[in-house]
Amino acid sequence: MAGRNLPLEAPLRPRYVGAADVAEWKVMVVFALIVINKAGGLIYHREFHEGLNKLSVNDYLVLAGTFHGVHAITKNLCPLPRTPGQPPTGIEVLESESFRLQCFQTLTGTKFLLFTEPHQPNIDGIIRKVYELYSDYVMKNPFYQIEMPIRCDAFDRHLASYIKPRQ
Amino acid sequence: MNAPQASAVPAAPAALQQPAQRASVGGLRYPTNRKTIYDRNLNRSRTSELSKASFAYLFGEMVSYAQRRVTGIQDLERRLNVQGHPLGLRLLDLLLYREPTRSVQRPTRILPLLQFITTTLWKHLFSRSADALERSKDNEDEYMISDNDPLVNQYISVPKEMNQLNCAAYVAGIIEGICDGTGFAARVTAHSVPTELWPAKTVFLIKFEPEVMEREAFLEKAR
Amino acid sequence: MSYYFAIVGTKDNPLFEHEFGTSKQGGDGVARFREEARHMNQFIVHSSLDIVEEVQWGNGQMYLKVIDRFYNNYVSCFLTGGNIKFLLLHAPTTPKAIRSFFVDVYEIWVKTLMNPFYHIDMEVRSPVFRSRVVAAGRKYL
Repeated sequence: MAGRNLPLEAPLRPRYVGAADVAEWKVMVVFALIVINKAGGLIYHREFHEGLNKLSVNDYLVLAGTFHGVHAITKNLCPLPRTPGQPPTGIEVLESESFRLQCFQTLTGTKFLLFTEPHQPNIDGIIRKVYELYSDYVMKNPFYQIEMPIRCDAFDRHLASYIKPRQ
Repeated sequence: MNAPQASAVPAAPAALQQPAQRASVGGLRYPTNRKTIYDRNLNRSRTSELSKASFAYLFGEMVSYAQRRVTGIQDLERRLNVQGHPLGLRLLDLLLYREPTRSVQRPTRILPLLQFITTTLWKHLFSRSADALERSKDNEDEYMISDNDPLVNQYISVPKEMNQLNCAAYVAGIIEGICDGTGFAARVTAHSVPTELWPAKTVFLIKFEPEVMEREAFLEKAR
Repeated sequence: MSYYFAIVGTKDNPLFEHEFGTSKQGGDGVARFREEARHMNQFIVHSSLDIVEEVQWGNGQMYLKVIDRFYNNYVSCFLTGGNIKFLLLHAPTTPKAIRSFFVDVYEIWVKTLMNPFYHIDMEVRSPVFRSRVVAAGRKYL
């Protein structure tokens, strides 16, 4: 974006962008995805790539509930929004040596939690795409009941074809 | 707000010819811009397209509406079919009207009718032709139109307990409306035939009534 | 010259009828049927429906030209895709003018169909529709 204001840099951009694209293409490793509804219930979880130990469904439920609570509290730590007009955000990233947990909350309070490798680039882009797939294949499905567990073949399918082949 | 502005604009002489007569007609209400359905151009939307997202939401609501107090999957499919039927009747004449006036033909045989459906109708509704048109090997009176990825089903995942359902029954209703309108009474149903490559592939089965087949045989002989 | 125009639905039910006179050669557009001829008009037009059904499968055209005559009364027919019949009773005249008239009425008819409150085989009561048919008659006949 910054490059757009500086025409002098323009000739350099294609090479730089190209290199980044290739890098992203190679190392896109998403371990798992969790979707939490606005009441803190787990409505979707799915593992994509090997790398983390398998959790039981029960553990996923606990994780979702706990994260929801922690998120709600962290939101109150600084109740004044940093950017005017936007609600204050809670916890956004948790990092460990072996994975990174990124949280994205929609305006309606649904949370997407993405587990990736620690140095995964462009997580924002990935999570936005997941959100897009959610709004297409879950929210436009007349058989999906809001706030209930997501069981949509088309969502599963498109998620897999977006995340899987790009490793 | 813009009503007076709009009524001042039309320069078409036909619209200005009988304003006095129109205003005196009792019991008929006009839209605020004073334009009735007869003042609209039938070719206006030839190039303009509609938002796919808004259609997806609308169709989702139509499916939910049809689902209310439904007795079973067949009943739900029948209701979707009934919703599409009048659309087929209307589209038939609209699309014929939009064909070039000199060369336009009413479909009088089965094949031209099916070609009208798979090309003209499909292009109008989905901006592409249907993927295949076949005749059933087992039954003379059955034809099949395949669509690899029906637009109406694009965002729909049918729950496992309803796996017999295919919401393209709505499109089947449109096809049935066209067949009925042209005098080819038929029963049209939508069936899911998923393949590895096309998980949403749908086949529309058109079964013509015996009297249609009888006439078809007669016309074939008379040719 | 006087004309009698009728639209007949798919179940041979009348949807619309209108009488008018010629506007060409100084005509005033008013129908001058003799009183006893008026009900005959309906009979003549109705009896031609059988012929429409015979002709409609041999020919994919919408305008079927003159399909029937009774003494000096000719019946011209135009068939829409949805199997609605436009029938015009007239004295011998140029088919081209009748065709143009039918094509205009067809356009108004398709617009009627676009009305979400209109169902198939419903009587057409719209005064706007009638005034448009009158305008088409005045223009060509």
